[in-house]
Amino acid sequence: MPTAKLPPVTLPIDRARFARPPASPLVEATLDLVRETVRRRLAESGAAWGDFALRKADSLVTEQDMVAVDAAILASGHRYDWSAGISAAERPEAYRAAEGEAGQGSGFAHADAPSAEADEQGRALRGVGDNVVRHAHDIEGTALYVRSNDRVLDLLTNGVPAGSIAIIDDSGGTLTAPIIEQFAGIICAGGTVRSHLGILTREYNIPCVMNAKVAGIAEGDRVRIEASADARTTEDYQQGVERPARIWLMTGDAA
Amino acid sequence: MNARDLVLHAAAIKRHAPAPAIAALAGLPASQAKDELDALVASGRAISANGAYALTPLAGVALQARYGFHFAELREDAKFVAAYEGFERINVTLKQTITDWQTLDVGGMRIANDHSNKAHDEAVIDRLGGLHEKAEPILGALAAALPRLSYYGDKLLAALEAAEDGEHEWVSDVRRDSYHTVWFELHEELLRIMGREREE
Repeated sequence: MPTAKLPPVTLPIDRARFARPPASPLVEATLDLVRETVRRRLAESGAAWGDFALRKADSLVTEQDMVAVDAAILASGHRYDWSAGISAAERPEAYRAAEGEAGQGSGFAHADAPSAEADEQGRALRGVGDNVVRHAHDIEGTALYVRSNDRVLDLLTNGVPAGSIAIIDDSGGTLTAPIIEQFAGIICAGGTVRSHLGILTREYNIPCVMNAKVAGIAEGDRVRIEASADARTTEDYQQGVERPARIWLMTGDAA
Repeated sequence: MNARDLVLHAAAIKRHAPAPAIAALAGLPASQAKDELDALVASGRAISANGAYALTPLAGVALQARYGFHFAELREDAKFVAAYEGFERINVTLKQTITDWQTLDVGGMRIANDHSNKAHDEAVIDRLGGLHEKAEPILGALAAALPRLSYYGDKLLAALEAAEDGEHEWVSDVRRDSYHTVWFELHEELLRIMGREREE
């Protein structure tokens, strides 16, 4: 989003009164992103529309601008369909995976995540996080990464498999209220115990660790959260006191 | 915004909600919002699951790209921006207040509040009332610039009054338009208007 103070700019197409939205969501998203870019470049140029469109647009609207449009679409989790295999071969990150190749990719690999061999209970340390509230018992479940909107829509539609522990990037809102309550536990790489997600999980009484540093947990692994650990308090954050709840990969017979 | 964008916007803020709730936030008649939502589902802009609607990712991208056009004047409106910044300051206190509502300090440890300590609960609700008094001029300034936003002030006051009358679910219950639910939605609304990202 632009933050520069520029006068509001209207394009001629903004005043088209009877234009229906494009049939395809991808076309609509692309056009709106392009128009947003053109509005910004037009405002920056200070030129009249005619002069901008006929003389300046080719140099002021850059290749980099269009790369950013593509990046915004991919950042939403969208992947293009392809008609020739060469597309997916040359740019695998931008295209839908071929049948059978779709996966959730590799899990988190946080550089500061602690790690240890399995103890006598089969618990191999794979990370830590800030416990949002202390529970009576630790919680075990199956790791389920939620890192794209498509995944959220899939879970909304088909439900969350019983006993799943969500592993998510941030508390900003990938995980919406109606699916939060279907999880056995949540591991969130961002936020603090006072974040919105912390508030929600306390309401639902679902164990949750925030600000988590995790490495070496793959989709489908059996994981255990030390939900019985002390919660990290406001004072802890203010004074920089760490109060980690542990996250284990369950191995051997324990898995 | 036209009706289609109002519905897209309200659905984005609500995340996953039934048609009447989206209509109320959008400020549209329920039947009109339902028609728009059905058209959005038919054209791949939204999904409908368990009686509630959620936007598809590309519909969210397109909507976000139109905000700069829709809200250009508000982003330049000094009074509105000042009110928004006031909201962000109070938001820090709100999150702390809700956290204190949900937890108790027992022997130096934070545990879940079982709401058996009436004095603690009433003290927190008093603080929420004090916070709301600080928020009221801000809510007024926001609605003065964009009348649709009076939805939030009305909902917040209703939730606060219910909580003060002893119905404590109205503080932070996620399954209703509790004080925290509506506050969070207003925050989301303001971030979208301003073109800002949420800070943790």
